[in-house]
Amino acid sequence: MLQQVLHALEQAQQPLSLNDLAVQVGVDTATLEGMLAFWERKGRIVLHDGQACMSRGCGGCSPTGGCAFAGPSPRAFLLVPDERKP
Amino acid sequence: MTLNPTLKSRLTQPSHPAAVPAAPMASTAMRYDSPIEAAITQISATLAAHPTLATQYPPRWLAIQLLEGDEGLTTLVQATPNSTAILEQVSNQHAHLSAHYNDDLDVVLADQRYRFVHQVVQHTLTRPAAPAATISDRIDQIVTHKWLGIPIFLLLMWVVFKLTTDVSAPMLDWVDGVMSGPLTAWSIALLGTLGLGGTWFESLVVDGVIAGVGGVLVFVPVLLALYFALALLEDSGYMARAAFVMDRLMRTLGLHGKSFLPMIVGFGCNVPAIYATRTLERQQDRILTGLLVPFMSCSARLPVYVLLAAIFFPTQTGLVVFSLYLLGILVAILLGIILKHTLFKRSEQIPFILELPPYRMPTIQSIWRQMWERTAAFVRKAGTIILATSIVVWLLIATPVRGAGSFAATEMDDSAFAAVAGSVAPIFAPLGFGSWEASGALLTGFVAKEVVVSTMSQIYAVEPEAAADEDLATLSVVDGLTEIVTSFGTAALDTLKAIPLVIGINLTDAEAEAEPTALMDTLQTSFEQASGGHGTLAALAFLVFVLLYTPCVTAVAAARQEFGNKWMWFSIIGQFTLAWIAACMVFQIGRLLGLG
Repeated sequence: MLQQVLHALEQAQQPLSLNDLAVQVGVDTATLEGMLAFWERKGRIVLHDGQACMSRGCGGCSPTGGCAFAGPSPRAFLLVPDERKP
Repeated sequence: MTLNPTLKSRLTQPSHPAAVPAAPMASTAMRYDSPIEAAITQISATLAAHPTLATQYPPRWLAIQLLEGDEGLTTLVQATPNSTAILEQVSNQHAHLSAHYNDDLDVVLADQRYRFVHQVVQHTLTRPAAPAATISDRIDQIVTHKWLGIPIFLLLMWVVFKLTTDVSAPMLDWVDGVMSGPLTAWSIALLGTLGLGGTWFESLVVDGVIAGVGGVLVFVPVLLALYFALALLEDSGYMARAAFVMDRLMRTLGLHGKSFLPMIVGFGCNVPAIYATRTLERQQDRILTGLLVPFMSCSARLPVYVLLAAIFFPTQTGLVVFSLYLLGILVAILLGIILKHTLFKRSEQIPFILELPPYRMPTIQSIWRQMWERTAAFVRKAGTIILATSIVVWLLIATPVRGAGSFAATEMDDSAFAAVAGSVAPIFAPLGFGSWEASGALLTGFVAKEVVVSTMSQIYAVEPEAAADEDLATLSVVDGLTEIVTSFGTAALDTLKAIPLVIGINLTDAEAEAEPTALMDTLQTSFEQASGGHGTLAALAFLVFVLLYTPCVTAVAAARQEFGNKWMWFSIIGQFTLAWIAACMVFQIGRLLGLG
């Protein structure tokens, strides 16, 4: 089942939503989240859930900290290429 | 893993009266494949015989953890006496099983646990064959549809810019009236009281600070409207869908799918968008996306678009602004395809999953917070970068390099600014805006795009007519405040009337529409003269140039920090060249076709 998640992701021709992948693997999204977390720990998937901003000079820093222009970004899980594969 | 009898009984019973298990489970005890079970049994037996470990941990559980390679527990076992034999046994079994399954043993063990849980769930829970679609699912079927997704995205963008330009226009006129009316009058009166009337300092305050910074602050209502619309789209959850839909398009075109996430940030500001390329895994993808991000029209470019579109395309302002945003996206995609097939051939697709959060009703507090934070950032910028640049521009304007004028009392054509800007003006002559005024605005626009507007406000500033000047001079504080309050009421009413314009219903009184200001008249005349009577085409070419050339000095610094000097220069030179070619095509082809 775990390999099925990676396989579905590798074969995807377009970005998948969590729901699409859950339907494809035949599990609910909560289970899929657990599986993705496992692959993240294993280093096969990287999770991105926000933007970094290192600038202090563009005037876009919000009073509460962070960048006022970098709005909430959807979580994205990226597949890390398997280095063991030729 | 063994289940206690109560839990076992619950798991083997249907969870719902209507749910019938497909088949009774033979056993609810978690059992791995026999080779693994054999290894676990052997290691467990050894652990059970260990005097310390047997009393601290269940042997089977510890055996599984050690086989999975739990570093903490392995270290702990190493620290106990007589553990060498145990670890050797674990190591041998680990090697044997890894070879047997041709995979990492922890993956094999976790996979078998997932299979067990899945089996338990399947036997105890009956789900509807097709789960009921939620409201989010139903909306997503339309907005992320393969063919409808892009048109819906474009339609929403069009509504955003219609809202931004049409609805904010009355408030823009109000702020402009306050800046050029009571505020200027009070400043002049105050300086006169202090004995500074008619001096260079008055010129600095009025022609430098108020014309420059005020000329930009006039656009605060436009930006508030834009930030309101963007916050609405972000908070409702639509922006994630926009990224999803555009990702699909970009991937179809052979570009990195995830590139559009930083690009969407670029609509607000290019600087965090360049830093957001860090979310891409490969350096090649980061550089490629970083080169494309500046073509996303940031909110700093909006005042330039609105100013020129309102002058040259007064009835189609929203459409022109929307077209410029769209052109930016198209140029980014086309350039991306070209670069992907030339300099970035080795860049490969990386599959990814995007979480589409459920749609939710935006809250007033959240929308206001975003509008406030972004507008505050803009105002802060007006008080720092734009103020500093306005003062430098004023200094150059005030300094004569020819003619008989003296400091702060010279003809603008004789100023140092006109000389510097005039030296680069021939570069822009084929583009239709080869005047020193337009060239000067583009030069200072390298600092920040809002500066294009502030510089224009300074260099196209016209002396008020004598009667108007006298009115300003005699404007009392009470009269000024009354004028501000009454004109605000009128502007607020006109804003409400303008809302139906978004869907094409015009409730505004044509006669009451704002008259062109002196700045607008002068700007129009200047473009007409510089282009040989093709002012509209020249203005369009100018807008295209502003869209495509370097966004600002901070974006350049961000590119240098992220991608290095080589790519920073590639970006600056490439953007300038592309902007020049595109603007030249707009002007020259338009002129050949007899347009404008």
